[in-house]
Amino acid sequence: MVTPVYLVVSLLGIAFALGILGKPLRKVAGVITLATMAFASYISVSWFMGLWFGEQSAAMVFTAGFRPPFSINLLMGFEEAFFLSLVNLAGLFGTLFLYRTLMKSGVNAFVILLILIMGLNVIIMTRDLFNLFVFMEISSIATAGIIILNPHQKTISAGFKYMLATGIVAGILLLGIIFFYHFTGTLNLDDTIRVNIEAWKGITVALFFILIAVIVELKPFPANGWGLDVYESVPGGIGMLISTASASAMLYVVYKLLPIAPPVFFQILTTIGIGTFFFSNLLALKQTHPNRLLGYSSVGQIGLITGVIGLSHFLGNQFGLIAASLLISHYLAKAGLFWISGILNKTHIREWSVIRQNRLLLFLFSLFVFLLLGFPPFPAFYGKWELIMQLAGSGQFFWLGAILVASLLEGVYLFRWLGYAMKLEAPAGEPLRVGWNQYIPLGIFGLATFVTGYYATHLSSYGSLINLIPLAFALGFFLIDFLPVYIKNTLAIAGMGFYFYYLYPDLNGFDMVFSAIFLVGGILTLLAGYAYKGKRIGFYPTALMMFAGLIGLVEAKTTLEFFFAWEVMTAGSYFLIIRGKKSMEHALSYMLFSLGGAYLILAGFSLASIGQSTIVLDILATAPLYAPLIFILLAIGFMTKTASIGLHIWLPGAHAEAETDVSPMVSSILLKAGVFGLIILIIRMGEQHLGSLSILYILSWIGAITAVLGNLMAAFQEDAKRLLAYSSIGVLGYILFGLALFSHLGWLAAIAIAVTHFLFKALLFLAIGGVVWRLKTKEMYRMGGLITRMPFTFISVLIGIIVLAGIPPLSGFAGKWIFTNAVIEKEWFFQGALISFAGIIAFLYCFRLIHTIFLGQLKDEHRKVNEAPFWILAPQYIILIIVMVFSVLPNSLLHPIGEMLKPYFPDGALTWQGQYATSIFGYWNGTWVMYVVVAIFLLVFLWLWFMNRKAYRVKQFNIVFAAERPFRPETTHFAYNFFAPYKKAIGFLAEPGVTRFWGHVSEGSHAIAELIRRIYSGNGQVYLFQIMAFIVVVYLISFGGF
Amino acid sequence: MENIWIKIGYALLTIFIVLNYGLLLQGLFRKIGARVGRRHGIRIWQPWVDIIKNYTFRSRIYHGVMYYLGPVFRLTGGIGLLLFLPVIYGSEMFSNFSFTGDLMLVLYFQFFGVLGMALGAGESGHPYSAIGVSRGLSQVTAFELPLTLGVLAIGLQYHTLNINEIVAAQQGSILNWTFFTNPFAAAAMLLSFLGAMGRSPFDVVLAPQEIPIGPPTEFNSSLLGVLQLNRAIFPVAKLILFMNLLFGGATNWGELIIKTFFIYFWSVFVGIAFPRFRVDQSVRWFLSIPLILGVIAIILIKF
Repeated sequence: MVTPVYLVVSLLGIAFALGILGKPLRKVAGVITLATMAFASYISVSWFMGLWFGEQSAAMVFTAGFRPPFSINLLMGFEEAFFLSLVNLAGLFGTLFLYRTLMKSGVNAFVILLILIMGLNVIIMTRDLFNLFVFMEISSIATAGIIILNPHQKTISAGFKYMLATGIVAGILLLGIIFFYHFTGTLNLDDTIRVNIEAWKGITVALFFILIAVIVELKPFPANGWGLDVYESVPGGIGMLISTASASAMLYVVYKLLPIAPPVFFQILTTIGIGTFFFSNLLALKQTHPNRLLGYSSVGQIGLITGVIGLSHFLGNQFGLIAASLLISHYLAKAGLFWISGILNKTHIREWSVIRQNRLLLFLFSLFVFLLLGFPPFPAFYGKWELIMQLAGSGQFFWLGAILVASLLEGVYLFRWLGYAMKLEAPAGEPLRVGWNQYIPLGIFGLATFVTGYYATHLSSYGSLINLIPLAFALGFFLIDFLPVYIKNTLAIAGMGFYFYYLYPDLNGFDMVFSAIFLVGGILTLLAGYAYKGKRIGFYPTALMMFAGLIGLVEAKTTLEFFFAWEVMTAGSYFLIIRGKKSMEHALSYMLFSLGGAYLILAGFSLASIGQSTIVLDILATAPLYAPLIFILLAIGFMTKTASIGLHIWLPGAHAEAETDVSPMVSSILLKAGVFGLIILIIRMGEQHLGSLSILYILSWIGAITAVLGNLMAAFQEDAKRLLAYSSIGVLGYILFGLALFSHLGWLAAIAIAVTHFLFKALLFLAIGGVVWRLKTKEMYRMGGLITRMPFTFISVLIGIIVLAGIPPLSGFAGKWIFTNAVIEKEWFFQGALISFAGIIAFLYCFRLIHTIFLGQLKDEHRKVNEAPFWILAPQYIILIIVMVFSVLPNSLLHPIGEMLKPYFPDGALTWQGQYATSIFGYWNGTWVMYVVVAIFLLVFLWLWFMNRKAYRVKQFNIVFAAERPFRPETTHFAYNFFAPYKKAIGFLAEPGVTRFWGHVSEGSHAIAELIRRIYSGNGQVYLFQIMAFIVVVYLISFGGF
Repeated sequence: MENIWIKIGYALLTIFIVLNYGLLLQGLFRKIGARVGRRHGIRIWQPWVDIIKNYTFRSRIYHGVMYYLGPVFRLTGGIGLLLFLPVIYGSEMFSNFSFTGDLMLVLYFQFFGVLGMALGAGESGHPYSAIGVSRGLSQVTAFELPLTLGVLAIGLQYHTLNINEIVAAQQGSILNWTFFTNPFAAAAMLLSFLGAMGRSPFDVVLAPQEIPIGPPTEFNSSLLGVLQLNRAIFPVAKLILFMNLLFGGATNWGELIIKTFFIYFWSVFVGIAFPRFRVDQSVRWFLSIPLILGVIAIILIKF
């Protein structure tokens, strides 16, 4: 092992050498610097590895061979090696990234960089307070140096403000150190740790000065305007160094000083840290400058980790994993994002759409965003999971809530930004140029996200249980994305088919039903993918990611696996949804509701794990505390996915604007994830009460109202796919109601409807998708008369709406029949009547859908439209066959579901004799109904055929109009605002009140952000005042001044 | 197997009786309506004449497959509804195919014909048809809500959705009829019934003045003939349903005819006495008084 003193020696030595021999070495200065940094990285990483694997023990280096206090000692322990690796690697790759810029700036630039990194190295290793001060000063000066490396008005002013701020911090730190020396007579940390320093009177003030100075270096809210100005003014490459290397080193200083800190200091750290995390993310909402935005995010993330350090007492032995994974995520993500920002060099996040010129950059951008937000399989996922679990376990609910809310805010601006990059029109300008020296660091950090994620999975206590294979299979498609669609589609179908085959023997009960919907349904909808030509870049990895997540839900045995799968599914579906042409805002709102829901689920799981020894899903059943609260959190979380009323506003846009085969995937399959979640929840927790009020009773009302309003809104849509989307909201309302009934029949209806909804919604979305594919419009009134042009599609839609409307003799009626029985049994009549009312309203939009598209007047421009592509029709006809089987033989669907429910609900099952079902109230024989109806239909038809055999077909406009002859399809097709009188009567119910509510929430938070961020006036004096005020206020609050 | 042929025979007989009874009612009530309006009115056998006339027209046109199938759906809906009902209480043969499903089947099967017909009318391309359908469907949704509350109240009252058992429970005395034992449910349902019959004030669907006869506007010759057959059968099927639910059913054809006559008369009486509602008015009306009655029925029966 190379002794750590060489870190200092090499970095400082080369810096001096370059300074002295500057001119002759100009050409190779860059290479020498890189080599030095590589050497430093090697030393730190090798120490880190050695210490990790236990081959090495911590080493103390004494400079000049004396013992303290006569010399300075440097410690190379496990934590030091970790932080040194971070700092030196950041230095190495940061320098590589900036290589060309630095070469232009000359040798001095390299000197400054080397000094900065050297300073940070010593800051981490030193055990001497005064030495710490000195090197903090050195790093500050070096940082100021790199800030003004590219001198213009903004950087100079930012650099000046930076010097002012760090200057005042240094003064306070020095004061603290002087007092400290005065009281203790030593500046050596190890010495002071050994004795009980609290015995010294007056030491508190000294400690406060030292600690608050270090905290201010971390740029806490609100004393951080100077830091944000720095981030805004410097190029991305330099911002990266400040955000990763400097911030990591300063974080370590805080950690290092903890042993001498008084207990109250932990509360201060927590409050300041999480407060900063919250407010940075809130204020970032209004931010549009990419670097400043990243600055906010950096400050916030560092705040979070600071908070975690403050909460370390509550985190037990998980503290290390939590802090390290959060730090690594911040480190990798922020480095990557700052670098990308450096490449794009834009001043408004809307301009980031130029990133689409380079798919790799776009991929990395999304990767880093997901990494930062703690999505699986990246390290922060486990960090956040453990953090929330431990916080719940120790009763720190306030902080738990604050962290989750702040994370959600972070999601708002990051996903908005990602959406801009993916969807906005790219501004004209020079093409992007990315040098090899920029690709290498980005690529390595990108890979590192997966590597660290993998290790984090194995380090976390239950992470190793997680089945990563489906996710890996999905991500593998990124590697073969250059292949044409039909190959990838075949591979995807084969993969999913194999997985279903592999799972099949172990499946039973609910798992069976939902795996069939997720996998078999997925295969059916994927079939439509053959209709696409070209490569469809990015579709397969994300679609399969969604399916991997869905099947992961079914396979999950523990809450962690469930949450992992949930997040994977959310991420995959987000990318699927945003593929639609106009999907930007819809994907954002989908993501935000999903994130919010996910955090509620996380909170629910964490509360459920309190006082339990495992995290298997069954802990929900045995949760000793807060059971109703857990139930509510989880139920709301799942209801964001089922789009229950109030949480539904993301759905119509997301489903309607999606691509032809994505709409059925997200609508008929993805929504069932929420249903599955509710089933898992209700079956384990049963009926919970708030006081005397049953929560299921509340859910039944939510379900019924969702059903009515969803269907009502569907009836008033002009856009065919939006109509179907609203209809999904309605049907999911029935399902929620059925589950809330919590009886055999209620669940039978709910699950039967879940299955049939999959069938008819996939059918309808594919069929309508086919129409839109040909007509290039989704507005129904622009269509009409297409029955002659697209007869096969017409048949699909016809069967689809009959099933949807629940009209006998098709299988949709089963749901209605069982529902009525269940309602009478449970005696929830008013909700039941609403559900039935909703069912009738469904007729309105069903008719409208088929009439305005396929019947009425054919438009001139559609006279030559072709039938939908074969591969879009093929899955529809497979589904039609299934629908007909379920219709003729209802017990083939209902009987197995009934058997499956018997262990949970032994009473009230249907009795089956062949196809003859009896409940305690009534009876129904699907087969015979079908026979009778078909027989009558045929007889009547033959009668008419016989009587009318000489009829001839007339042309389109040969209709009975008084005294005139219509000639324009547009004016003759009655389609627009089809239910105008109905709207007049009860349209007020479909007013977008919920949308308005969430609009106000969004506007309100943005307005608050706008108001608060005015404190950052850009004036150095104001910033100084803020720092001083911050210090005084923190002192007064923590030490009892108030 | 023999059993099923006998059943089919009785089913055909039922259809025949009901068809003629339905046509008679049509003629009769048009006559009554005319007399109330101080007109002479049609001959009572005019409905038969109209049907025969329609089947014998020489000029026959159609607009497409769905247009052709619309009337088939409609009549299938009417006949199916009739056959899924136990027509005569206690008579196995005139129970027809009611063993295949209970009250819920009957209620939902009503829409089979309605939607099929609406689709057929849609393909004609005539805007009046579509307007009529839009009005009709709007109205249907509105009166279904009080109707459902009434049905649920009855289901709870008798603890069954089996129509035969509901009729059985009302035997013995007139006072056992649901009409008397559950008056609010009966009121809600009878008001909804007005909507279901589509007579004034709820006849805006056919609106002779603005959208001459609404959905069937474009139908002609045999197609219209099929619709007319349905117009005779379908209302009677509905009358039988309401008779079974509210008025103790019928143990023989005579009783059936007397009871259904008066139930039909209720809608005619209201129709003659009240002018027409606009659609939005009728929707709001159904969601006011009948709905409140339905809610009261539920509350009374539950608590």
